[in-house]
Amino acid sequence: MNPRIFGVRLDMLLYLYRRRLRAHPVAELLAGGGVAIGVALVFGVLLANASLTSSAGRLIHGLTGSARYELTARSAQGFDEGLVAKVGELEGVQVAAPVLRENVTLDGPQGQQAVQLIGVTPSIEALGGVATQQLGAATVLLRGGLGLPSGVAEALGVQPGRELRLASGGVVRDARMRVLLGGTVAGAAASPVAVAVLSVAQGLVGDRARVSGILIRPAPGAEQRVSSELERLAMREHLDLRPADDELRLLDVATQPNRQSTSLFSAIAVMIGFLLALNAMLLTVPERRRFIAELRLQGYDARQIVLLMGMQAVTLGLVASLVGILLGYELSHLFFQQVPGFLTAAFPIGAEEVVHAGTVAAALACGVLATALASLSPLLDLRGDRPVDIGLHQRSAHSEVVAERTVAALGIAGVCLIVAATALALLAPSLTIAAGVALALASVCLIPAVFWMLARVLPRAGERIHSSALIVAMCELRATTTRSVALAGIVCLAVYGGIAIGGARRDLLAGIERATDQYFATASLWVTSGKDVFNTNSFAPSAPAAAIARAPGVASVRVYRGGLLDVGERRMWVRAKPANDEALLESSQLVHGEYANATRLIRGGGWAAVSSEFASERHLRVGSYFALPTPSGTARLGVAAVTTNSGWPAGAVTLTSGDYAHLWHTNEAAALEVALKPGVSPAAGRRAVLAALGSNSGLQARTAEERAVQSAASARQGLRTLEEISTLLIVAAALSVAAALSAAIWQRRPRLAALKIQGYDAAQLWRAVLLECGITIGVGAFVGALVGIAGHALAGRFLQLSTGFPAPFSLAPAQVVLTILFFGAIALAVIALPGILAARVSARTVLQE
Amino acid sequence: MSSGALELRELVKHYASGEETVRAVDGVSLRIEPGELVALYGPSGSGKSTLLMLIAALLAPDSGSIVFGGRDVGSLSSGQAAEYRRHEVGLVSQEFHLIPGASALDNALIKLPVLGFSLKEARQRTLPWLERVGLAGRAGHPPERLSMGERQRVTIARALAAEPRLLLADEPTGNLDSARTHEILTLLRDICSERELPALLVTHDPEAISFVDRVHTLRDGRLLEGVEAQLTASAG
Repeated sequence: MNPRIFGVRLDMLLYLYRRRLRAHPVAELLAGGGVAIGVALVFGVLLANASLTSSAGRLIHGLTGSARYELTARSAQGFDEGLVAKVGELEGVQVAAPVLRENVTLDGPQGQQAVQLIGVTPSIEALGGVATQQLGAATVLLRGGLGLPSGVAEALGVQPGRELRLASGGVVRDARMRVLLGGTVAGAAASPVAVAVLSVAQGLVGDRARVSGILIRPAPGAEQRVSSELERLAMREHLDLRPADDELRLLDVATQPNRQSTSLFSAIAVMIGFLLALNAMLLTVPERRRFIAELRLQGYDARQIVLLMGMQAVTLGLVASLVGILLGYELSHLFFQQVPGFLTAAFPIGAEEVVHAGTVAAALACGVLATALASLSPLLDLRGDRPVDIGLHQRSAHSEVVAERTVAALGIAGVCLIVAATALALLAPSLTIAAGVALALASVCLIPAVFWMLARVLPRAGERIHSSALIVAMCELRATTTRSVALAGIVCLAVYGGIAIGGARRDLLAGIERATDQYFATASLWVTSGKDVFNTNSFAPSAPAAAIARAPGVASVRVYRGGLLDVGERRMWVRAKPANDEALLESSQLVHGEYANATRLIRGGGWAAVSSEFASERHLRVGSYFALPTPSGTARLGVAAVTTNSGWPAGAVTLTSGDYAHLWHTNEAAALEVALKPGVSPAAGRRAVLAALGSNSGLQARTAEERAVQSAASARQGLRTLEEISTLLIVAAALSVAAALSAAIWQRRPRLAALKIQGYDAAQLWRAVLLECGITIGVGAFVGALVGIAGHALAGRFLQLSTGFPAPFSLAPAQVVLTILFFGAIALAVIALPGILAARVSARTVLQE
Repeated sequence: MSSGALELRELVKHYASGEETVRAVDGVSLRIEPGELVALYGPSGSGKSTLLMLIAALLAPDSGSIVFGGRDVGSLSSGQAAEYRRHEVGLVSQEFHLIPGASALDNALIKLPVLGFSLKEARQRTLPWLERVGLAGRAGHPPERLSMGERQRVTIARALAAEPRLLLADEPTGNLDSARTHEILTLLRDICSERELPALLVTHDPEAISFVDRVHTLRDGRLLEGVEAQLTASAG
């Protein structure tokens, strides 16, 4: 089959492309390489963002199958298993499958891992979820023991049949791994879960006959009736009735701040990726113009040329994008495959990469669009007013010079964009992402103006300098070409992104560290179940508290309570310190309210501090009241203060330990706060407390400092994606700019040869070339740094206002300088070699036979 | 300023082309006196550019000598050759190789920094040369705003700003129409005469005959003398 398109046979189109590949393999390779780097960046970032909730979605849908509802407990204590039978007997209920979910710590030969233990009965098989089908068939589990995903088993160093220890509620019990779960059961090979038959799970957590939820599937046509019955039951039993996959909605809200913050930076990364690809293609423009001229001279008409160029651009775009997607997959695998650790305390999310067709399509579209757009400019030669052979005569860069009128227009547009971005961020914080993108565009618009000014200032400043390299570089930079603007634009965007992302991340960490330092400062030692970061895993406190109180050096032991509570769409962190604690709130985290008064109100009971996002959602102010669904019913609490989210993205509620015990109907603790006698060091106190607890205890004692460090590490790990996007952005952009600059230097060899014939030697030319590249990079970096600082402030404000995170802005000049130096060092190191080779061009090439 | 004569004596340069040896320059002897403009004609592949490269010390001869300023240019080391080109040779080529965006003045002065001049000094020294080639009013214009003839004049100013003692021109009118060719050749002739520079003009252009003092033709590496030989070569 060899169809004709616009009169050109398909095999001829392919032949002409093969001819081009043979004639200009290096140019095509460079362009393809640049497109691939850009697409890799785009794909890696998009994949990292899409994967976070997807793995949890697979696990949750895999478990819930066709269930429509879930009755859930309002606390980790769960509810009586007897309710399962009652629900099953309700008219219209087809399936009622109990589920137990409990955060536990597994201890294997190679280490510890916090996982969510999921206990189910064979009845869950009737729901038909992908995971449950396999689970029901996994009869080995019925013989007792745990099913572990491969990632967890590897981390623990266990295999089926091997013993391990499980800590829950402050008690350590022996367990056995029975089966290695396939990806369909665990949702992801690395999901932090352990699955067991319900009775086994109940035995392992010491809670026989209690469950945390019931998955329900109504009979067809009975949904309304079942829903009403369940609502009544939920109200009576103080349970929550939710859609079966509601956990995903809660996860979505919990990850929203993370997503919002990474979205801003992903948008910048995608923009840079696109520019990298576009810029790489621009390198081939002179070749393509010559090719068009040749074709026109041979009699090809405009339609045929557009077809040919389009086919070549799309082919290159597709091939390079596919390579980029593979590269991006590896990048994502290497850099982004990190689950925000703090979220695993509340959700069974794994580190699985889930590749959606949409993500692949977006990355492909980006690459192909870049190649197609870059092909447009040579096609301008097809305009009627241009000579047929114009492409053959445009061998210099003259046609690329940006006119002064354009420089001025872009400068004005840049200033307008900065004003618009500032206004947008101030008036509508929710539109900060748009403002960030506007700032990025503004920075690129300002670059020609900076080049223009530099071209006028530098010669004056360097009039008396006797440096041939500087003078050559200055002369080369007198023209602001589209290529130099594009290259400096990439530098600018990368530095902008790096500084804005890095700065916001640092602010976030500083804010969270400040919050956690104050939070843990109320005790010298903290005793928790396993390595509990948020003090949400409960245990019976009486025996350990008594034992600790008798330990030498211990002054007092106070019971801290707390956990996670689903309120509306938020899985909130409930923090309940003992009323006699020195501080119930972190003064640094107060958004509204007066610290002393808020503390007094909370200490008195019936009052709480709530985080700003929760408060604004419910229009709460200091002094107003809100309803909190608790295991004892709906409680009415006053708002004593509005705080940041204290580092938990879904928000926090702070009350006293006494109120918690009363409202949650529990005496269990989430932590013990230990005060030491004067003169006893935290380390000595810790040793004494551990001795008092005994070696078989599932409780761990850590100093306030250790807890703060652990918490900061968790936050840092949670924000690692931001750091990696920022680093990757800089590295990818530096490499791409270096490749483009190298190609530009290579194409300029005839001019270097002409300088050589004037008596310049290779070393002088090399210095001139490096200096010119350094100045180009410097211009981009300068504008990027200035706008990046504004972007940093903007991102910080966005994080504070839109996500509720503590993120006080602080300028870090060292970080700005380091970002620029990092970029410059990578780029110049790469350019150095082609620079040397180009500078060694023979002067003879000027004289042609 | 008087400079010495350029003298080529029995100059030979061979190239290996596959298994064959091509005698690109085959026993060429030529003397160009100060102030004399000599045209060298020849078809493609006749060895014109090789000869120019030998004189500019971009190639070393296999035998024979190139004497200029009392020394044998053919035996210079690469460092000495660069030094020779820097201080002694002015070269005008067919391709302008001008820096886009940089003014005509900045393009014309580009050789001076390598001779140790600051930008200010280089501009002071170059401006008179731009005036001399008739571009005083266009000194601030970048190449993209100059005509082809003006661009070629910038390259002439560039070659002369460092005050060379030998002028080599490779197809300086190759890109120009008849009127511009006339202008450029007149300019080269006048400058050689004024500055007493020995100058070699490699060209295909028959119009050059009336502007030069002597004409030679290079055919298969061998130098033929006179107008008749040139016409024969042109016809061939």
